[in-house]
Amino acid sequence: MILAKFGVGFLCVTVTAGSLALSEGLVHVRVYEKRSEGTHLSLVVPGVLAPAAIFCVPSRHLQKASEQLRPWMPAIRAAVEQLKDERDMTFVEVDQAGQHVRVSKSGGSVIVDVDDPDETVHVSTPLRTIGGTLEELGNKSDDQAAAQ
Amino acid sequence: MKLDKRTAIAVALVAAVAAIFLVTGITRARAANTPERYLHVRVDGGSDGDKVNVNVPLALAEKVLPAINHGELHAGKVKVDLKKINTGEVDVKAILEAVRSSPDNEFVTVQQADQDVRVAKSGDNLVIHVRSKGDGGKEKGSDKVDVTVPLSIVDAALKNSADGEIDINAVLRALENTGDNFVVNVKNSEQTVHIWVDGKNDSN
Repeated sequence: MILAKFGVGFLCVTVTAGSLALSEGLVHVRVYEKRSEGTHLSLVVPGVLAPAAIFCVPSRHLQKASEQLRPWMPAIRAAVEQLKDERDMTFVEVDQAGQHVRVSKSGGSVIVDVDDPDETVHVSTPLRTIGGTLEELGNKSDDQAAAQ
Repeated sequence: MKLDKRTAIAVALVAAVAAIFLVTGITRARAANTPERYLHVRVDGGSDGDKVNVNVPLALAEKVLPAINHGELHAGKVKVDLKKINTGEVDVKAILEAVRSSPDNEFVTVQQADQDVRVAKSGDNLVIHVRSKGDGGKEKGSDKVDVTVPLSIVDAALKNSADGEIDINAVLRALENTGDNFVVNVKNSEQTVHIWVDGKNDSN
């Protein structure tokens, strides 16, 4: 009986933690180096970890970035909110000197694809993660001011 | 038949909720029916084969621009030096009104050794063609500029010109309502730039 209760409790904690981790979607980074024995990296991280990581970095290390970002936060907020309502589309596509770069929206994520003669890089980031991470970064200068 | 107080309150609440859903539904349906418009910029880099495509939903630009306060851009308006307009030397609005009410015609034709300029009105659009020649009238180094701008966009841009401002947000709103008439083409020996607005979310 005790084992069953422990099992149910463990299941609840796992489901809750899993739901929380996936609530902001997944950040997907894929790097494929084209040379022989090159790096092939595929990383899938819960989006909720990005703002948490920024939160954990001491404010003094991010103060400059935070101050530079701050004036643009209203525009970033507006862009992220509006992007949620936009249809899937390609925003920017550049072909230059053998390099192809594409920035697009697919589902609830912003996707950056880079393909050049040396490597292929794919980064997919949920919009909610972008908003949350930049908000956290923007708040760092407040934290630093409060600390002083 | 007389309703008791509780029943009357319940009926009123249900009616209020139904009204809210109805109004919200109608508003959403209207928003969904409004076709999205996109500003496209395409740059073809000539012999190098470089290409740049940019597609921006006008609704996105409309939301983001007012939130930017940087340099000369504030609240979706750009401060410009329009001294002559402000001092009343040139009444741009009166000129525009005269152009609008006149029949389709070529208003300005300038022919110089190195450059030809033509400004005309065609329907509700202002059409500008500029042809500049390269050194010695050669094709190399020549530029070709063709601009078609609906007059409503010029109006919107100059709405607050008396205050020394160009209202970019008003221009974006006007672009949403002006069909597919806004076109800018710039071509020289090195690259071609094409700017236009339409209802497609890609540049093809």
